[in-house]
Amino acid sequence: MRPDSATGLRLAGAQTLALTRRSVFTEWRQLGNVLPGIVFPLLLAAVYTHQFERVILLPGFPVVDSFLDFVLPASLVQSVSFGATEAGTELARDIENGFFDRLRSSPCGRLPLLLGRLGGALVVAAAKGVFIVAIFLAFGAEIAGGPAAAVVIVATAVLLVLAIGGLGQVLAILTGSQEAVNATFPLVFTSIFVSSAFFPTNLMSGWFRQVAEANPVTWIIDPIRRLILEGWSWSDVGQALGVPLVISAVTVTMAVVTLNRKLGAS
Amino acid sequence: MSGSIEPGSGGDVVIEATDLARTFGEVVAVDGIDLSVTRGEVFGFLGPNGAGKSTTIRMLTTLLRPTGGSARIDDHDVVGSAAAVRRIIGVALQDSSIDPLMTGNELMRLQAVLHGIPRSEARRRCPELLARVGLTGAADRRVATYSGGMRRRLDLALSLVHEPGILFLDEPSAGLDPTSRLALWEEVRRLNRELGTTVFLTTQYLEEADELASRIAIIDRGRLVREGSPEALKATVGSPTLRVDVDPVFFETTRRVLADFGPDRPAREGRVSIGLDGGAARVAEVVRALDDAGVPVTHLELDAPSLDDVFADATGRRLEGADE
Amino acid sequence: MSASAVAHTEGLGHVGGVALAICGRGMRRIRARPTLIMPVLLMPLIFVISFTGAFGSLTRVEGYGTDNVFNWMAVYAALQGAVFAGVGGASATAEDLENGFFDRLLLTPGSRVPILVGTMAYSALRSTIPTTGVLFVSVLGGLSLAGGPLALLTVYVATAGMAAVFCLVGLAVVYRFRTMRSMILIQVFGFSSMFLSTGQVPIHFMNGWLHAVARVNPITNVLRFARQGFLGDLTWAMTWPGLVALGGMSLVSGTLAVWQLRRLAA
Repeated sequence: MRPDSATGLRLAGAQTLALTRRSVFTEWRQLGNVLPGIVFPLLLAAVYTHQFERVILLPGFPVVDSFLDFVLPASLVQSVSFGATEAGTELARDIENGFFDRLRSSPCGRLPLLLGRLGGALVVAAAKGVFIVAIFLAFGAEIAGGPAAAVVIVATAVLLVLAIGGLGQVLAILTGSQEAVNATFPLVFTSIFVSSAFFPTNLMSGWFRQVAEANPVTWIIDPIRRLILEGWSWSDVGQALGVPLVISAVTVTMAVVTLNRKLGAS
Repeated sequence: MSGSIEPGSGGDVVIEATDLARTFGEVVAVDGIDLSVTRGEVFGFLGPNGAGKSTTIRMLTTLLRPTGGSARIDDHDVVGSAAAVRRIIGVALQDSSIDPLMTGNELMRLQAVLHGIPRSEARRRCPELLARVGLTGAADRRVATYSGGMRRRLDLALSLVHEPGILFLDEPSAGLDPTSRLALWEEVRRLNRELGTTVFLTTQYLEEADELASRIAIIDRGRLVREGSPEALKATVGSPTLRVDVDPVFFETTRRVLADFGPDRPAREGRVSIGLDGGAARVAEVVRALDDAGVPVTHLELDAPSLDDVFADATGRRLEGADE
Repeated sequence: MSASAVAHTEGLGHVGGVALAICGRGMRRIRARPTLIMPVLLMPLIFVISFTGAFGSLTRVEGYGTDNVFNWMAVYAALQGAVFAGVGGASATAEDLENGFFDRLLLTPGSRVPILVGTMAYSALRSTIPTTGVLFVSVLGGLSLAGGPLALLTVYVATAGMAAVFCLVGLAVVYRFRTMRSMILIQVFGFSSMFLSTGQVPIHFMNGWLHAVARVNPITNVLRFARQGFLGDLTWAMTWPGLVALGGMSLVSGTLAVWQLRRLAA
């Protein structure tokens, strides 16, 4: 019946919101976990800006005033990637200590369960994104695309977390182990180094360049960087938001399917 | 208290605590306790979770510094001569403090090195001890594959490598199944009997204290509330406990009737308990009195005094049925 | 109580014996669970591959001083790995403290310092595994042994020393806070100290505060000492400041660690 399904949807929304709030709180209570994801990328950006002044003069390097402008997308992506697997580890923790069973035995849908756990990570990612961009602007970085581009950049980072978080949840459901999910972090961390994040791919060579160019992180970094260095362009906005959106659609669907399969059809 | 072995009288004192105290910030874990254990005794330190047992044993074994009072082990101060104390004591702490990635043999050899036992001596002693606790077959397996009982036994063997005269056991049988528990008790008794080892053990199990210890101290909320031999302690409670279950309507009547036979004791809901003056001989009299008052009894039992009664007498609460 | 046991808990023989036993225990744990060494080995390998791949064109910048980026980055990745391995050695103690095994070690009669020395020796010894991994990959990448085979020896000395220093720093913190979590702090500190030095570019590439910090960072001397044999001949002038830096850092961190170990029973 229609009223029923409307009530159901509202309930699912309320449940998602409640679970999101819980996951934001748990993140907040473990603030120490958020710090490395802010301190480390900023330190890296600060050091690189001061040691690569001569590097930006290399032929083939994009035209920039300072390495600071160039490295902004890298710092942003690196910062949010620190908490990205969190949605997976938190879910694995719930499974490990049995809290997930309690949630499952409540009249709460499965999608809200998963989205709620991702919700916390997304809110934290957005906060980190805004913070990182603000710090860069304070230190003299310029975003040629203007405020709208800044919003797109942060949104891209949030979508990226959704994509990685969904993957983390698939692993969490399959293994039920925090350790297994945590083990994927070095992979995420490395994939940022093997991309255009800290250096343009056209100045790389050999197999490393091929891997970097095929890396989805590069597909996300490059349009963001053009929005910062060159200005607003709808095609760049489309690519920046589209790539992580497609990936997250795939990973979140995978998470729901995996959970359904694990629990059996109901 | 009139125990058969009085602290300080006869035998030399090997564990002595004077006004020993420990606070963690605002929390008073151990609130000034006096203890003395004579050589060759098995001393049981009984109390509920969080009463201060572990804190006390950690202070006595030099792992934790007291914030008040003092303690001496075989005349060595636990703070001033910590190294000397560590040389003469064996310690098996709660949660079997052993590295799961090492084998039983490797742990034994490491322990021997830590205590400066010559290699030739260790080669003789380690297999002997492992055999003693029945772990010869498992000696080269990693501890991670051991059962809870095996870990406890290995823990005990590790504590004995340097042939200590005084053995501290913190909750030795916590989490063990009944068979493993019996085996561990037997081993402790044997050590005490054959080598004259002084044993100081903490426990929250009445049965363990009753079975093993020749003298018991009961600790509650950081303070000693009773001390003596199990028999003497039970004797202080005096009469056996009579428990009568009745329908709630007759509860007050029952209380009134039973008040003539002895003092009220703590009991669970729906039950009246008293210390029955005169013991079993008066049960028939009680039944008659209840019958005369028109009280239909659903259940009646008479128990000799237990350590739980001692604990209840001292604290107004029961230890039995407290969580694991 | 046998008299022989008393006689042997004093003196250098006992100290050495205990230290050796603790060190041996660590190595045995690696044999028992080889995956324990994986993060310690993989991290510097990822570093050497990422940094040489991404920043390969640094050699084209005027004044970089070498035509193969491995000659510059290999030592940096190896030392970064040694720092990581050193802190990892202290983490093993954190694990012991958390599961109670450390109580057993603390009940050792005689001095507790050999426990610390053994853990440090284990960290230093263990660091040879990632160092060898990095050098192997770098030789494949064309590392030049301009200074002869001694060039390799300086790397092993420097990495063992850095592993020891950061193990001691880690131990000081572990003895104080007794938790595994506190190790994250020290890892961040270790990474940062390495970044604030001449890890990736020569000091004259840097400007501003970074130049000033790298200038006084003792690790700069250690890097110079370990790297000299890949850029040219080994000289005493490049050697002694590195050794002094290692010695000084060991002294400071060792004092801190011993101080905290002494306080542990409070």
